[in-house]
Amino acid sequence: MISDIIYKYLSNEATEQEVQRLFEWIEASEDNKKHFINIKKTWVITTLSETISTETTPVINIKPKSKAASYLKYAAVFLVLVGLTKLAFDYNQKTKLSKEIVLELGDGRFEYITKNNQTALLNDKGNLIAKKFPNQIIYFGKVKDEEVLYNTLKVPYGKTFRLTLSDGSVVSLNSGTTLRYPEQFGINGNRKVYLTGEAFFEVTKDKQHPFIVNTNQVDIEVLGTKFNVSAYPETPTVNSTLVEGSILMSETNNKSNAILLEPNQMATWFSHSKKMIIKAVDPSFYTAWTKGELAFKDTPFSTIAKIIQRTYDVEIINENSDLAKQNFTGTIKISESSVENILELLKRDTPFNYSINKNTITISNFPN
Amino acid sequence: MKINSNTESTHFESFKEGDQVAFAYFYDQYFSKIQAFSISFIYDKEEAENVTQEAFLHLWENRSNIDSINGIRSFLYTYTKSKCLNIIRHNKVKDRFKDDVLNQKERELDTEILNSISFDVLELTELEHLIHGSINKLPPKTREVFIKKRFEQKKNVEIAEEMQVTLKAVEAHMTKALKLLRNSLSDYITIIFLFIYNN
Repeated sequence: MISDIIYKYLSNEATEQEVQRLFEWIEASEDNKKHFINIKKTWVITTLSETISTETTPVINIKPKSKAASYLKYAAVFLVLVGLTKLAFDYNQKTKLSKEIVLELGDGRFEYITKNNQTALLNDKGNLIAKKFPNQIIYFGKVKDEEVLYNTLKVPYGKTFRLTLSDGSVVSLNSGTTLRYPEQFGINGNRKVYLTGEAFFEVTKDKQHPFIVNTNQVDIEVLGTKFNVSAYPETPTVNSTLVEGSILMSETNNKSNAILLEPNQMATWFSHSKKMIIKAVDPSFYTAWTKGELAFKDTPFSTIAKIIQRTYDVEIINENSDLAKQNFTGTIKISESSVENILELLKRDTPFNYSINKNTITISNFPN
Repeated sequence: MKINSNTESTHFESFKEGDQVAFAYFYDQYFSKIQAFSISFIYDKEEAENVTQEAFLHLWENRSNIDSINGIRSFLYTYTKSKCLNIIRHNKVKDRFKDDVLNQKERELDTEILNSISFDVLELTELEHLIHGSINKLPPKTREVFIKKRFEQKKNVEIAEEMQVTLKAVEAHMTKALKLLRNSLSDYITIIFLFIYNN
């Protein structure tokens, strides 16, 4: 069949004999020639298309208690989830109500990171210290140790943000996260930042100046690496997941209580017992959020509800006790699924009713 | 894709102002596509890489003349098309077949095809959406085969193995894909054809 040969020719898998046949066919008539040209054009033009993935993942793919969905492979990252019982910083009343990403500068001024085009951030001397984009800020430069100024960035529920610190380290901030960091790192000092919430760190190597993440009770000292930290105030644990490099997690007030992590390990700090445990994990599961995905593996609905609340900035009230006991496994592409999409999918396996009033979702029992 | 559009326009602005990081963003985005396009006409991976590098170099040098993100694509493809035509005309395309008559005929066909494609800025966006949509409308297995072939450059045997189907089935899917895509894109292709023939 000539169409088979055309296809073989286009994929460079035709023999010389087949090419001979093809060209003879092309010359046989003007129509044949047109036909061939159109097909090759189609073939060539398809390189114009946006990047397409072969993953036939439907928009949402959640199955309760079934085998794990496959997770995308990620470059090394370490993830630290820190849940503290109280916030590390005072929330200014004004910013607590804000749905915008708020940057508090060293001198106390507030800036709302709106959807403006790039702007330049200046320090009080009028020097350029950072470039601001809608989804990220990039800092650069160094100052004398005495002049290190701290900024605080607050990312509300429903948003994420990215920060490039002045040493080149990149921090991705998940919803409901606050990071306090030096505008410009000091020349001689440690590189210390303060976190509540969840962030993904890619830290530049600098043996002389260790990078330290403080999450209230726990310090995570970083030795040039990629890791995720989860430290949400409402959860009494801190999780650090290491993909690349090495990190040391220790109790801030008792440095001898420490754990050194290797890649593909996760350490959990329990704030009540002040104990830490370590286990082997697949880090890609814990860093799905940095790729715009939520990943669940035998995750109880109550946890899923919490994560949905943060990611989409909604409130979920669950009155359905059956649902609360269910575990789910799957992956959600955040940008392609709304909360309703997700609820509809969960409903298929565990029937329930829900109603939405403004930003509050109430889940009730399914009437029999 | 929606999430990217904000970042894209920011990068575009920076790119125009001479920001190399922004330029690197577009470089990453389009390099392999331009290279794939070139290979279809000059059949040599390294040569195609050279052509692509040149295209980006010229893009950088001419950044002040580019008005929009689509202008970037348009510039790159137009430059590459022109360069490929040049290479063919100067007989620099490596000979693929023992029979030189075949080589000659191939060059003629490729020249005709290149001449008939226009990368006008406005058309490019429409065309892109059209292609993306058409590929998505393909039946699932057919779509999967097409993508593996076209975007991942896998050999037929590799695809057959990955998808646990016969080689013949893979070939049948590809033929079907091309046929369906050609139908979806036929309007575009006809218009261009008429345009060229009328001039």
